[in-house]
Amino acid sequence: MTRVAGTDPFQPDDVTWRPVSDRLALARRIIAAVLCGAVAVLCLVLGTLAGPAWLDLGAVAALGVLVWVWWLTGRQVAALGYAEREDDLLVRKGVSFRSVVVVPYGRMQFVDVQAGPLARRLGFASVQLHTASPGTDASIPGLVPDEAARLRDRLARLGEARLAGL
Amino acid sequence: MTTPERAPAPGPSVEPGSGEAGPPREAPQSGPPAALPAPREPPTEDGWHRLHPLTPLVRGWKVVAAMLVVVGQQRGGELVDAGLPSRQEALFSLGLLFGVAVLAGVYAVLAWRRARYRVDAEALQLQTGVLFRQERQARLDRLQAVDVVRPLLGRFLGLAELKLEVAGGRGSGVRLSLLREHEAQELRNTLLARAAGVAYEGELAPQAPEHEILAVPVARSVESLLRSGTTLTLGGALVAVVVAVVVTGQAAVLAAVIPILLGLISATWHRFTTTFGFRVATSPDGIRLHHGLLTTRSQTVPPGRVQAVRVSQPLLWRGRDWWQLQVNVAGYEGRGNGEEGQADENVLLTVGSRAEALRVLHLAVPALSPDDAGPVSAGLTGRGPEGGFVPAPRSSRWVDPVGWRRHGVQVLDHALLLRRGALGRQLDVVPHARTQSLALTQGPLQRRLSLVTFVVHSTRGPVTPTVEHLAPDVARRLLDQQAARARTARGAAGDADHGRWMVGR
Repeated sequence: MTRVAGTDPFQPDDVTWRPVSDRLALARRIIAAVLCGAVAVLCLVLGTLAGPAWLDLGAVAALGVLVWVWWLTGRQVAALGYAEREDDLLVRKGVSFRSVVVVPYGRMQFVDVQAGPLARRLGFASVQLHTASPGTDASIPGLVPDEAARLRDRLARLGEARLAGL
Repeated sequence: MTTPERAPAPGPSVEPGSGEAGPPREAPQSGPPAALPAPREPPTEDGWHRLHPLTPLVRGWKVVAAMLVVVGQQRGGELVDAGLPSRQEALFSLGLLFGVAVLAGVYAVLAWRRARYRVDAEALQLQTGVLFRQERQARLDRLQAVDVVRPLLGRFLGLAELKLEVAGGRGSGVRLSLLREHEAQELRNTLLARAAGVAYEGELAPQAPEHEILAVPVARSVESLLRSGTTLTLGGALVAVVVAVVVTGQAAVLAAVIPILLGLISATWHRFTTTFGFRVATSPDGIRLHHGLLTTRSQTVPPGRVQAVRVSQPLLWRGRDWWQLQVNVAGYEGRGNGEEGQADENVLLTVGSRAEALRVLHLAVPALSPDDAGPVSAGLTGRGPEGGFVPAPRSSRWVDPVGWRRHGVQVLDHALLLRRGALGRQLDVVPHARTQSLALTQGPLQRRLSLVTFVVHSTRGPVTPTVEHLAPDVARRLLDQQAARARTARGAAGDADHGRWMVGR
């Protein structure tokens, strides 16, 4: 454990990261597409009916944003990952602003499993760990329900076994 | 357990825990007055107690006062402009005020009648609520801190509020408002004794003996305020106003800045009154803090409840070598609550010399050994690798040209030191056993310069332990080793559960 593996602390070799489901990317892309589409349509309608012609450019810009978000979402979801080690859980995220969080099982106060309407339809849920610190940002979005349930139960079990008060 | 009869006065026959080394609890030194205290509110049934009958008066008064202020603000201008209102209107307004006051009073009386509390061996229970009933149970083994607060009006009437903090997140504490002063103190003693696992005879627990460590002189308190950033802003604002008035020749500029000035002055005044007469003491029940000019507050933080400490020094305190200590305690909510006095409960020492600050730091973090004095001093004022710190690499000067030499981290046997700040200096101390979780973060610029920020998550409070711009291998090693250290420290005997801190001493 004390060995410093590689030079990149966010990609340690001695940890096997588990990726999250692709469906998360799909869901985020759907939301982006709906929002950008709505903006584009609004710009087109306004530009054609009443407004100045440059409003049409707004539609093009919205589509450009959509392409960018589409590409970015893929990278972001690919960067999400978690690893269950013997004593703690690792969660990493972010492409240009990267972070990795280590949450000892004994410090967990409770675990949230959440799924919105779109997530339920597509079949994924997010698991969030809470410690006594409000700063602990350890949420794992985009887990298939079976995996979310398994993780929740395992975390609850390990947390109970190692609970260390505050 | 509790009976309507008054208990015999606590005598020296009381058993201190089961131990030999622990300081014995004695008869109170400065506790309840020697005269026979007035009888407690008689318990209704099964040991339930009522709050003091004057509670509705004190609380209702606040509502009426707030209303008067609002009305005054709304109508004051009109009075000046339009002169006195007609007799009819005045009567109507007064009637309305009176009606609201009566309503508020009735509600307060109802609230008082419905509120009751009980202490058993495990928990403090409080039932409140007129329409929506609430029953709250605070487990004593989760107790984090007990405060006795005496608001100004309460002091005239000999009343005090007892606040019990438990580790349960935002707003999880129990407030008993208001009790008789001696009652609040007795209750505090009982709660602490039961939480500590002290065996005592009789109904009332004896007060733990207190040993005063230091008191902040008023003169130093005032000077420290004068040397604070707020005062600097105030002075700057005054100069700016004078210049503006002279240049433009219009006094109207004054009117624009008066609210800002008032805000700054009231903030400084608030800080002065809440930190007035700051005293730090130790007792077997933990650290005792006493402070306040108008509203006085006595805080008790039992051993092992301190999650993190920040030792800091604003720029203007350098000449005096003064330091301030802030603390994270689960249950104390830290800044930004807005309620009066909330931000002050996290202060462990308002202003003190370096020796005093170090002394209080050792009290708060007993895990620090005397050998750690060197590293801690280096953490206060050192730069670069002084005192064994691992500093930020040279490349970090591009992101923090002023303070980069101060960024540093050091691992001691039982605590982690995180150092930062070149102008205003800061040192965060986190005992390994109190680490919640850890994180590394990196932004795009840091990535280019190959730097990583290391974050320790502590409970809610003013201390947010972070070291920015470490070398990647250092950060990586810290993350792995610190996780392991925190685990070992927590696993160490006696640290896992700080409940019943007097048992086995």
